[in-house]
Amino acid sequence: MKDDLFFNLDHGYAEGLCRGFKSGILKPADYHNLVQCETLEDLRLHLQSTDYGNFLANDASPLTVNVIDDRLREKLVQEFQHLRNISYEPLSTFLDYITYAYMIDNIVLLITGTLHQRAVGDLLPRCHPLGSFEQLGAITIADTPAQLYNAVLVDTPLAPYFIDCISEHDLDELNVEIIRSTLHKAYLEDFYKFCKQLGGVTAEVMCEILAFEADRRAFMITINSFDTGLTQDERFKLYPRCGSLNPDGLQELRRTDSYEAVKDVAARYPLYRALFEGAGTSTGEKTIEDKFFEREVELNRNAFLRQFHFGIFYAYLKLKEQESRNIIWIAECIAQKHRARIDNYIPILP
Amino acid sequence: MSTSSIFRSEQMTLCQLFLQPDAAYSSIAELGELSIVQFRDLNPNVNSFQRKFVNELRRCEEMERKIRFLESEIKKEEIPIVDTNENPDAPKPRELVDLEAMIDKLDYDLKQINTNSDALRKNFNELTELKFNLAMTQGFFQQVDPNGNGMFNDMTEEITDETQRMTSGGMKLGFVSGVISRERMNSFERMLWRVCRGNVFLKSAEIPQLIEDPTTGEKAHKIVFVVFFQGEQLKTRIQKICEGFRANIYPCPENGNERRELTMGLMTRLEDLNVVINQTEDHRQRILIETSRLIRLWKIKLIKIKSIYFTMNMFNNDIARKCFIAECWIPTSYLEQVQLALRKGSEISGNVQVSTILHQITTNEKPPTYHKLNKFTQGFQNLVDAYGVASYREINPMSFVLITFPFLFAVMFGDAGHGLIVTLFALWMVLKEDYLKDKGKNQEVWRIFFGGRYIILLMGIFSIYTGLIYNDVFSKSMNLFGSSWKVKFDDNILLKDGAVTLEPNPRPYSAAEHYVQMYSGNPYPIGLDPVWQISENKITFTNSAKMKFAIIIGIMQMSFGVFLSLGNHLYFKHYYAIFLEFIPQIIFLLSIFGYLIILIFYKWTTYLAEQATDAPSLLIHLINMMLMSYPTDDSKTPKSIVVFYNHQRIIQTILLIVAVICIPWLLIGKPIYIIVQRKKKTNSTELVHQESEASNDIEMHEQNEPHQEVDMSEVWVEQGIHTIEYFLGCISHTASYLRLWALSLAHAQLSEVLWTMVLRIGLSMGGIGLGGVALFMVFTTWSTLTVFILLLMEGLSAFLHALRLHWVEFQSKFYKGEGYPFVPFSFQSILEEAAAEN
Repeated sequence: MKDDLFFNLDHGYAEGLCRGFKSGILKPADYHNLVQCETLEDLRLHLQSTDYGNFLANDASPLTVNVIDDRLREKLVQEFQHLRNISYEPLSTFLDYITYAYMIDNIVLLITGTLHQRAVGDLLPRCHPLGSFEQLGAITIADTPAQLYNAVLVDTPLAPYFIDCISEHDLDELNVEIIRSTLHKAYLEDFYKFCKQLGGVTAEVMCEILAFEADRRAFMITINSFDTGLTQDERFKLYPRCGSLNPDGLQELRRTDSYEAVKDVAARYPLYRALFEGAGTSTGEKTIEDKFFEREVELNRNAFLRQFHFGIFYAYLKLKEQESRNIIWIAECIAQKHRARIDNYIPILP
Repeated sequence: MSTSSIFRSEQMTLCQLFLQPDAAYSSIAELGELSIVQFRDLNPNVNSFQRKFVNELRRCEEMERKIRFLESEIKKEEIPIVDTNENPDAPKPRELVDLEAMIDKLDYDLKQINTNSDALRKNFNELTELKFNLAMTQGFFQQVDPNGNGMFNDMTEEITDETQRMTSGGMKLGFVSGVISRERMNSFERMLWRVCRGNVFLKSAEIPQLIEDPTTGEKAHKIVFVVFFQGEQLKTRIQKICEGFRANIYPCPENGNERRELTMGLMTRLEDLNVVINQTEDHRQRILIETSRLIRLWKIKLIKIKSIYFTMNMFNNDIARKCFIAECWIPTSYLEQVQLALRKGSEISGNVQVSTILHQITTNEKPPTYHKLNKFTQGFQNLVDAYGVASYREINPMSFVLITFPFLFAVMFGDAGHGLIVTLFALWMVLKEDYLKDKGKNQEVWRIFFGGRYIILLMGIFSIYTGLIYNDVFSKSMNLFGSSWKVKFDDNILLKDGAVTLEPNPRPYSAAEHYVQMYSGNPYPIGLDPVWQISENKITFTNSAKMKFAIIIGIMQMSFGVFLSLGNHLYFKHYYAIFLEFIPQIIFLLSIFGYLIILIFYKWTTYLAEQATDAPSLLIHLINMMLMSYPTDDSKTPKSIVVFYNHQRIIQTILLIVAVICIPWLLIGKPIYIIVQRKKKTNSTELVHQESEASNDIEMHEQNEPHQEVDMSEVWVEQGIHTIEYFLGCISHTASYLRLWALSLAHAQLSEVLWTMVLRIGLSMGGIGLGGVALFMVFTTWSTLTVFILLLMEGLSAFLHALRLHWVEFQSKFYKGEGYPFVPFSFQSILEEAAAEN
């Protein structure tokens, strides 16, 4: 109550701005028009009439999907960084927390890249700008996780997350994936704790979203770990503990060894049961990933129904990312003249 | 009826244009210059990228992009863009290709030059960094081992020991030198230390000037560093770290002589590069200057082409007849001009055989509202349109607002001195119009003032007039013609304490010995007698007068508004509304408030000074009339509240009854009329129905029922609201006009306070030296306060109240304001918009 009273004092402008940005999210009618486009030029013409305005106007024809992707990301990053620049505590910390996820992804990207003998100069531009930090470029000097921690990550906010990964093993592909998952797990749990600590509506909204995110990770780790060298115990260590699956569901997941078994575990939770039942792999059916995305979009959209909380900033970023993925999907379908699956984007607004 | 008049919007015609494909472009171009045709979108359901001329539009956009690039390059070089105020015609479609080629070539050339010069510059910057690197590291290796074995005996004071230890250990000491940007230095150093576990020695120095970064081309602070280390493994690590921190590593010979040679070679290469760079720059400059002359024309041309194709995208393409069909609204009085423009368009395109056909069509649709305006009337029309754009052909109150608005403002702002300042300010804006037009385009407040300069001018002039009537100049009165009152008391009376009263009555003053005539008998020629300025009951007197003025002005304006509604009824041939709306409305207004005005004038003209105490109190009389209670005429009741003319009671009762009858008249008249009309209609449609069935003509049948009728209950509710609004409105609006008095009182009082509290202090200070200085200071305060509080604040408040009186009290009597504005296809407005966007 008291927080609501003083919320606008510090965060009112940022919230208003964010809601304003959100109203620029493409409507179903826009998608309807987008999928009718014959060429990328049509796409550009149509996007011009939306909130994107002439964000592609300065790019020479012919347009490529990569250019569109870059511009979309540029615009989003610009908006987010503007919000970050005008934010006060604790919103600024909250926004920083959001960027940690991108930092983790960037680190993993660079390490995998170096494993494949790619030059840092080529890799750096591919990193997400929201997750870039000063020492990022020097990551490649590390050969073992311990070195990585001691030399590079110790100064970054990711350091506490990394403590669990320190070992003298070489960085190979499986290890990198494990590092990624461990980092994400630690990050999610920490973010969850931070949101809980903020309390109020922020905690209510964000904890629901983060719990879902944690569960999704647990499911996806399990499904993807079949037929890899990962043991059940190793797998179990990677599950984030802040979701609604914790603790019983995670124990169950640990013991599963097939997709069907995972589905059985999910069947005990009404929400996930519905998601798994709606998913399939044959054409015309949505994959379980898409189902999770849809649910995520719904959660993020719902965040906007409540006021005086930070969840909308997170939700806006996620919605906008989904929108970028949608646009890229449509653009790819158009560019590759593969229109059969063009409707497989995930609608953001009903 | 004339088609064009200042009182109503222009008559519009919906026209179909049948354009030959060849002639379409130039015809639309002509219409764009003419700016009098509003096109309708005939393909509202077609996506923008599925329209016919989407390719042309895309080409235009591509060119615009290139022009933007050229423009940004020109701006970067700070070359002014030449503005010749020329207005080129839209180029013909085939010229478009030339234009495209020209812009393409320029774009290509410039990009080529840019890549070249970027490469050169990068090279140059790298060499510069190397130069600094060499120069600064020179300090680090002051003395080189005479043996030249690549070991440094004495580098700098601090590391001597270390080096010696290293040297004595017989190990080879390697080094990496480079340049890094200043903000990265700290974490670079820290990481170096961590990764190499402290086994390196770093020496750094800041480059004293800003240098350009080779990759980004931006000026930045840079630091030269040298890292000394031991062993090959560390070297690769250090190199990786440098790479990660985007430090540029430069080779640095270990031998001093080699370094010197390298520096020398560097100098000559830098000089050579400089020459080449300067030449490229000159070439670039020449191209850009050339471009800057033409770029404005190109932009205009492109905007015109684009808008033409955009308009043509709204047309129907009739393939069978090989022509475009456009629909557009044209003011009927401009049809000739449009025809002419179309013909000219066909001639330009060289297609004279088949000219464009302009076909007028009739429609049920409501046409847009278009008023012919000039710069003088524009401001006033904006005031009216801010409330709502007039419905098509309804009476446009602008021509009345033109006078009443400044007048009502002036009634509230009545002060000749303040009015004069306002007038002079407005006059300056009006006279310097052409000069000021382009100034301060981005300043919103200034634009508001400038846009309303003619309104302000009239407001100022009227304020001078009302100020003269109130005899108020900066809260003081002017005695221009000599007061009609003379003080003729003798000293005995004047020297006594207390105030004296100037008696208008030609009767002996109580204490005087003989009759004294103090009032000349002739009133002061214009406005208020200045003697009131010093009287104690000035406020009582002006209040009574101003209140009555306010009521008179208000009732007159409102009845005028009701009469204007008669004009609308007559024009739209709603004859029933005259009897069912206009007549009850006007009767009600006049029988109560019109009567009040008559009483005011009666009181003013009949009662002379002698009978002042017997004069009727109009307020009491009006209340009595409403309550129908009349006090008995005996000696106890004061004279002012008993009936004062014959048959007053009967007349007032009749007026009241008539007014009351008007209420149900207005309430049920229109709904009953609608019921009767519908009955008649259903009878007739049944007939038509039978006929149409006989002739099997379905279209006829459909045309007879163009729209669904509104529910009867809705009609009742609407009329009920309308009735209540009007009758209550008459009373509350009349009261509302009292704001004229209230604001003028406030203004007069405020300026008086300012005078007595501020300026008088300065005026009453003695002495030429001190008093003069004090007056100078006080005058500053007084004049500032006058401008900011009395002119700006009070002016704004009076403006808003005048606006409200027009929107609510006046226009509600007749003005619907449900139209939509006419937006003609006009190159000029499109160009202005584009200019505003930049």
